[in-house]
Amino acid sequence: MKSIWIVLKKETMDSMRDYRSWGTGLFWALFGPLMMGGMLIMIGSSVREDVEKTLHLPVQNQAYAPDLMQFLEQHDVIVEDAPGDPEAAVRNGDVNVVLVITKGYADDFSRGESATVQLITDSTRQMAAIEVNRVENLLEGYNTRLATLRLIVRGVDPQIVDVVIVKDVDVASPQSRATSLITFLPYFLIFAMFNGAAPIVTDATAGERERQSLEPLLINPVPRRNFVMGKMLSAFPFSAASLGVTLLGFVTVFNVLPVDEFLGVRISFDVFTLFFIFLICLPISLLAGAIQMVVASFTNTTKEAGTYLPFIALIPSLPGLAIAFFPVKPALWTMLIPTFGQQILINQLIRMEPVETMNIIISTGMTLVSVAGLSIIAIKLYERERIIARKG
Amino acid sequence: MIDVQGLSKTFGKKVKAVQNVSFSARNGQITGLLGPNGAGKSTTLRMLYTLLKPDSGTAYVDGYDISSSPIEVQSRIGVLSDAQGLYPRLTARENIRYFGQLHGLEVEELEGRIDSLMTMLEMKPIADRRTAGFSTGERLKVAIARALVHDPDNILLDEPTNGLDVKSTRTMREFIRRLKEEGKCILFTSHIMQEVAALCDQIVIISNGMVAAQGTSAELLHHTGRDNLEDAFIDIIGTEEGLS
Repeated sequence: MKSIWIVLKKETMDSMRDYRSWGTGLFWALFGPLMMGGMLIMIGSSVREDVEKTLHLPVQNQAYAPDLMQFLEQHDVIVEDAPGDPEAAVRNGDVNVVLVITKGYADDFSRGESATVQLITDSTRQMAAIEVNRVENLLEGYNTRLATLRLIVRGVDPQIVDVVIVKDVDVASPQSRATSLITFLPYFLIFAMFNGAAPIVTDATAGERERQSLEPLLINPVPRRNFVMGKMLSAFPFSAASLGVTLLGFVTVFNVLPVDEFLGVRISFDVFTLFFIFLICLPISLLAGAIQMVVASFTNTTKEAGTYLPFIALIPSLPGLAIAFFPVKPALWTMLIPTFGQQILINQLIRMEPVETMNIIISTGMTLVSVAGLSIIAIKLYERERIIARKG
Repeated sequence: MIDVQGLSKTFGKKVKAVQNVSFSARNGQITGLLGPNGAGKSTTLRMLYTLLKPDSGTAYVDGYDISSSPIEVQSRIGVLSDAQGLYPRLTARENIRYFGQLHGLEVEELEGRIDSLMTMLEMKPIADRRTAGFSTGERLKVAIARALVHDPDNILLDEPTNGLDVKSTRTMREFIRRLKEEGKCILFTSHIMQEVAALCDQIVIISNGMVAAQGTSAELLHHTGRDNLEDAFIDIIGTEEGLS
């Protein structure tokens, strides 16, 4: 047992001096919070701007339709003079939309006939869609209002023309789109834990073989399993530190940005929640070390390990991506899958939903069982002669 | 004291690296395994330091079976293998200390031992420098100190002068002689005839994974009827290939 501690101590000291490796791990740890912060700002600002901003609408021939102009201004639209060539202006992207009142509009309007307006848009421009949509809705509203008035004047119940009333119940509001972003949070946590462990495991295995120090090391009178355990455990503090940094990064992002306003949901990220998430995730740090030890036993060089290990980080975080699109209820079977259970628990915690103690126990237990299983596999792999017989 | 009894090792199904190799290496003597490249010298040594398991036969180090008591064997041998990688981010002293700790040495004994090895190998000036950027000679000194930190009675050296310049080679040979004077059992491999002839009390000639001949240099000369060792070696092995 003492030799496990000796190996662990040496590997930790060695890795601490390898600034570049754990610096890279640290970058990955901050990658999640930075990316989510960026996306929140983008989504949040587009939601606010398009919904709340007063709309500037260039209109040609305003004089033909004073009533419509008045209606638009009542609905927060600032009517502006249209550019000389409206179509060219839209095509060049100088303006998103131009309303053109046709020459016959005034006459048709006063006779009570259908009067024509043109809406000049470019449908390939995604950015303009919200603005165009808003103008269309306003025109539609004006149309309905006048039609209703005309029917009433003629003594007809306006409802007679409403054969079917369609009410939009849009579930995918911009807010809920943004909420699904939060579901990515566990994904980033797991990603950070694996990436925190990766450089340490790589150096302690493939690195050891690459610099030809593995053979002398293994001649020391220490059971092979103690080397494996010591090396595996040395990745744990680095992985846990990555997790901590990522969590602190998210706290910073959620406290600096007005997330409630952006997302329309309250996100709980107090000290207690934070600590709880940290504890729930810790077994995954052990799992990260164990899986990577197994994979690294097949690699000869750090370069080779560097091509495999990032994939390993991706696999356990995939369920997190999946639940971002297909919400899963915290059922028993989900808790049986290491990393999947934790991702669901984290989601519950940050949404301030009640978490069942049993689920935490099962998920932690299953993860630790997997760690034990993988450790045994790793030990068996490192006991093989091939571990030294081939050279990088 | 190393006693090798009928060691055999096959890689895959066809490559018979070592076949029925038997010899013994006594305390206070230098025993040389001489043979061309690929003759099975390193494989034999690797079985002795327990990183490879023999298919049949076994060996005893101070009476401990390499197959059934590998840990006992490992604590009684000091090995300078072909692979001599150091930890570049650790200082020379830390590299040696790590191995001493793995051998279970206690702090005072360990630090005293490290100091005396460093004096003996004249490596005080590099003691607390990180080993990244060490010269070949400096690296070798760390590797030797690391291998001998637990003061083993049996010392296995795999091609110890390979790739060394003249000065380092001389230092190495002097060091091997000094270990002999201390009464250690020294077993080393080489494909260099002059080296073996100059250093060894006992010579074991290995060819194609088998022991072709063994004895003192006088016995080998007598056995072949030649008057110089070089001719004797070539007679025994049957070819000059792979020797120098």
